[in-house]
Amino acid sequence: MLACLCTVLWHLPAVPALNRTGDPGPGPSIQKTYDLTRYLEHQLRSLAGTYLNYLGPPFNEPDFNPPRLGAETLPRATVNLEVWRSLNDKLRLTQNYEAYSHLLCHLRGLNRQAAAAELRRSLAHFCTSLQGLLGSIAGVMAALGYPLPQPLPGTEPTWAPGPAHSDFLQKMDDFWLLKELQTWLWRSAKDFNRLKKKMQPPAAAVTLHLGTHGF
Amino acid sequence: MAPMAVFQTSFLLALLPLSAHQSEVSSEPLSLNVSISSAQQRLHLKWSVHNLTHPELKMAFQIEISRINKSNVIWVENYSTTVQQNQTLHWTWESELPLECATHFVRIWGKEDDAWAPHQRVWSSWSSWVKVDAQSLLGQGPPLVFPIDKLVEEGSNVTVCYVSRHSQSNVSCLLHGQRIPREQLDTHVSVFTLTNVSFISTWGSNFYCENDPDIIAGAEPGTVLFVSKVLEEPKGFSCETRDFRTLNCTWDPRSDTDLPKYRSQRYALFESFSGKTKSCEQKNWCTWQVAQDSQMYNFTLIAENYFRKRSVNLLFNLAHRVHPMTPFNVLFESVSTANATMTWKVHSLGNFSTFLCQVELHGEGRAIQHNASSQVDGQYFFSGLAPATEYAARVRCAAKHFWKWSEWAGQNFSTLQAAPSKAPDVWRSVRSTLGSCNVTLFWKPLSKSQAHGEVLFYNVATEFLGRPSSSKLFSIPAPATGTELSLDGCSHKIRVTASNSAGTSPASVMAIRDPGNQTAEVKEERIQGTEDGVSMSWKPPPGDVIGYVVDWCDGPQESSCDLQWENLGPNATSTIISSDAFRPGVRYNFRIYGISPESTAYLLERKTGYSQELAPANNPRVNISNLTQHSFTLSWEDYATDSQPGFIQGYRIYLRSKAEQCPPEFTKADLPDNSEGCKHDIDNPEQKTFVVENLQPESFYEFLVTPRTRAGEGPAHPFGKVTTREQHAHALIRTILPMVFLLLLLTVLCYVKSQWMKETCYPDIPDPYKSSVLSLLKPKENAHLTIMSAHDCIPDKLEVVNKPEGIKAQFPGARKSLAETDRTKHDYIYLLPTEKSSVGPGPGICFENLTYNQAAPDAGFCGPVPAPHTAPPGMGGLLTAPGNLLRSLEPSYMNSSGETPAGETTLNYVSQVASPTSGHKDSPPTNSLELAPRSEYRMQMAIPPGLASPSPNENSSLSSMSFLGPGEHRG
Repeated sequence: MLACLCTVLWHLPAVPALNRTGDPGPGPSIQKTYDLTRYLEHQLRSLAGTYLNYLGPPFNEPDFNPPRLGAETLPRATVNLEVWRSLNDKLRLTQNYEAYSHLLCHLRGLNRQAAAAELRRSLAHFCTSLQGLLGSIAGVMAALGYPLPQPLPGTEPTWAPGPAHSDFLQKMDDFWLLKELQTWLWRSAKDFNRLKKKMQPPAAAVTLHLGTHGF
Repeated sequence: MAPMAVFQTSFLLALLPLSAHQSEVSSEPLSLNVSISSAQQRLHLKWSVHNLTHPELKMAFQIEISRINKSNVIWVENYSTTVQQNQTLHWTWESELPLECATHFVRIWGKEDDAWAPHQRVWSSWSSWVKVDAQSLLGQGPPLVFPIDKLVEEGSNVTVCYVSRHSQSNVSCLLHGQRIPREQLDTHVSVFTLTNVSFISTWGSNFYCENDPDIIAGAEPGTVLFVSKVLEEPKGFSCETRDFRTLNCTWDPRSDTDLPKYRSQRYALFESFSGKTKSCEQKNWCTWQVAQDSQMYNFTLIAENYFRKRSVNLLFNLAHRVHPMTPFNVLFESVSTANATMTWKVHSLGNFSTFLCQVELHGEGRAIQHNASSQVDGQYFFSGLAPATEYAARVRCAAKHFWKWSEWAGQNFSTLQAAPSKAPDVWRSVRSTLGSCNVTLFWKPLSKSQAHGEVLFYNVATEFLGRPSSSKLFSIPAPATGTELSLDGCSHKIRVTASNSAGTSPASVMAIRDPGNQTAEVKEERIQGTEDGVSMSWKPPPGDVIGYVVDWCDGPQESSCDLQWENLGPNATSTIISSDAFRPGVRYNFRIYGISPESTAYLLERKTGYSQELAPANNPRVNISNLTQHSFTLSWEDYATDSQPGFIQGYRIYLRSKAEQCPPEFTKADLPDNSEGCKHDIDNPEQKTFVVENLQPESFYEFLVTPRTRAGEGPAHPFGKVTTREQHAHALIRTILPMVFLLLLLTVLCYVKSQWMKETCYPDIPDPYKSSVLSLLKPKENAHLTIMSAHDCIPDKLEVVNKPEGIKAQFPGARKSLAETDRTKHDYIYLLPTEKSSVGPGPGICFENLTYNQAAPDAGFCGPVPAPHTAPPGMGGLLTAPGNLLRSLEPSYMNSSGETPAGETTLNYVSQVASPTSGHKDSPPTNSLELAPRSEYRMQMAIPPGLASPSPNENSSLSSMSFLGPGEHRG
């Protein structure tokens, strides 16, 4: 009973009955996506620490900030604040979806290269989680009535080992992939938090129907 | 841009021959072509010789390689070979410096080297310099580091260069975080020499450079060095066959870097007789197909990586490397109580049909090993086995030419049961009550080797000795270890047997008789425990014995006795009893019985002792009595000596005091708490009192009584405390108490008889009639004894008394009690003789009854003259003295009110009349003052002229008044 009550309180913002009309709307999906983003942020912190230690110095040094040389193909998470504020919901979600599609593809390539079995397991687990995030974003977009972005012909994100890449530059790319992923997850948390607030109904109209949880 | 530049560099330099840079001049005797392999840092030289004079000619060539500029020759190589017509010659040079780091120049010349050649030792002209400029392909991109991702061997030296189009003053490069010293090769190239590189990770060691971001933005060049461990020679290379079809070769590959990007070290088998080679897929084993006609094999195991090749040889005869397969179908046949036959099969090995097999039998806690020669079908007969015992048998085989045993193949089996081989070990406890006899039988379970199977029950047969036909049989199921019988009379013979499914054991027989009071009759002796157990001995009885039994209780209490016994032979007179149940500090009682030929047990001796004695855990509770000045008595009567963890040998008494000397019975000793003191040992454990004597009176002593056992003393605490009595206290009490009693008695008597005492000793007013004077006078004037009346008395003299005390009495605070004043009057008032004694001219006469008038003049009215006690008072002195005294006094003491202060009175008329109403002599002054009106006399004053008038400045009347109370001025 107590555990159930705690669960309810924890997910109170995501309780579908909080909607005025009784239709849960995109609110719960956004909350779940937000929660998943925060979970992935936490997961990535551990994974990146391990992976960068494998790469060795200078990649595992805290103040290492190399130029973004070979990472042009990675979607940039950094954006001007005004531009970010002015994004509409559709564009915001579309950018997130596209970014994680690309990042997931690169991450799978990273997994293929990893020599250590333990690292491969961690990467595979993270890829699964990231795939889940992608599905969650798609769910939010669907709930809001936005179509999923269609990849342009020939621009399907694929990963292929770059023969021209030296090992050092490859390590640099790996570094940037993890860094961009971290920034994207941070940005997504902001995005979904903003969306979540936006989708919340006015407080006066909130009615809590606990009956849906069996009370 | 940078990746593209690297891409171009890697591919173009590696693949394209540098024909663009070559100078091939047909007129030159040698045409040189140079290509580079960037990854391997190699220059590949190709040249051909024009116009050979012979189809085949031995020639010598000299190659020069310069770096940066042509004059800087860094390598000269002499190369001799036989040259044929139109043959292209090859030579490769490996640079320690990556080729991208500097421009290189190559040229060559040659000469005929045959002895018969006409132009011997005449060099041709040099070819043109061939310029190898890999830098020119790098373009103007960001700085780069060369070599790119190089594989190096651990311990080698590597040269790395940093190429940039910018100034390199601030560049700093590190290998795995460690800074490397820089060497400037030219304005755009810095060289770093990495010495003795070591393996760090399979992900490689990062060499990277940090630029000054102000000069070169957006560049962080680096490279990864993959360090391979040095290839080691394989160890333990060995080959064997198990089926004569396949040889299995194994080895220990030792260390292996196992870099993911580069192929690991490889292994191959080469067999020299057949000339065959096989590349091994695994790193530590490889298989080889046995050829039908080959018996001898000579293998070479070749280990190879990028840098080294190692090999190890092995020559053997196949028949000597046979490792048979595990035997199978292991079975047991004809298993009886003591025998069994084991059979097995061995895999056939073609012509090899005889095997050496090893059979092992495990059972009864031991293992027996036998060797047996065997064909494909083998068998072994086990004998002398114990009945009803589980055994584990196993077999392994080796080829005739022993190489290795096969794995074990085993099977368990059990022999059949047999009847128990030994009678149960039985003992008894007998209690006879009112004609019946309660017998408790105990027996020990038969050991596995004696039981020969699971004992199912025990048979107890009793037979009354008087009537052999009256036998009874009891069957007690196992695993009982005893039973209780109630017999009619104690004279019985008891037989006990054990039965299993195969039969019954021999009987254990004992005869029971009334034990009587044997225990009380036999004296108990003390015995000592040793490390091995409790040792005891006894005297053989005069009669025949067939053995002895010692029994005891393992349990500490009679109720939890857990009776144990040990059988001993008829010749035994001593034994050592040990038991896992024995605990240190527990007393055990042993009884030794002799067994008569009629199987009757007689108690011979009783022993008591400890397996290990312990020091007493507690000290006795000690009482102190008979405490005197020099001694006290210690007693610990209630201390139980029998219930201690050891035999009490005596007691030790410790005494501690401030005295340096010990009492005579004590000796100096270190006390258990490491302080100094005295000790006295009592060797009789039954002595439980001790008088500590010869002590100092009124001294503090601490004492400790601790028992002693063989293991030591009791605890070192707590010390008791006692203080001896005072030396004179007793005498004083005997003296003082009666005195106090007598004093009290006297006080009570005095109180009761106080009136009588007063009347007798000190009446308030002496009764003249009772005066003793009268008794003296009576005989002479017995007729008229009268008391003189005051009315009849005519004064004829006056005595003037000067009383300086009166002045003195005027000082504040000088108002002493009258009683006090009165005490002084006798010193200063004199009854002067009339006329004759008058010396001075003035009237200075006073009649004073020493018994009567004490209270009448108070200190102020009749002050005594402060004359010396011895000096006879004179009138002159009396008159002048007050004046002198007054002059010396403070003015305040001069009364200005016209009243005459008592202290200033110089003439004092004192009535000598004894007033009937006069009070007690101790009456207060007010009362005495009241006497004045009733008296015939009045106070008069003779004021000296000098004192007639008070001082005009006198203002001390208030103070004077305040000093004298109003009452004092009346009259």
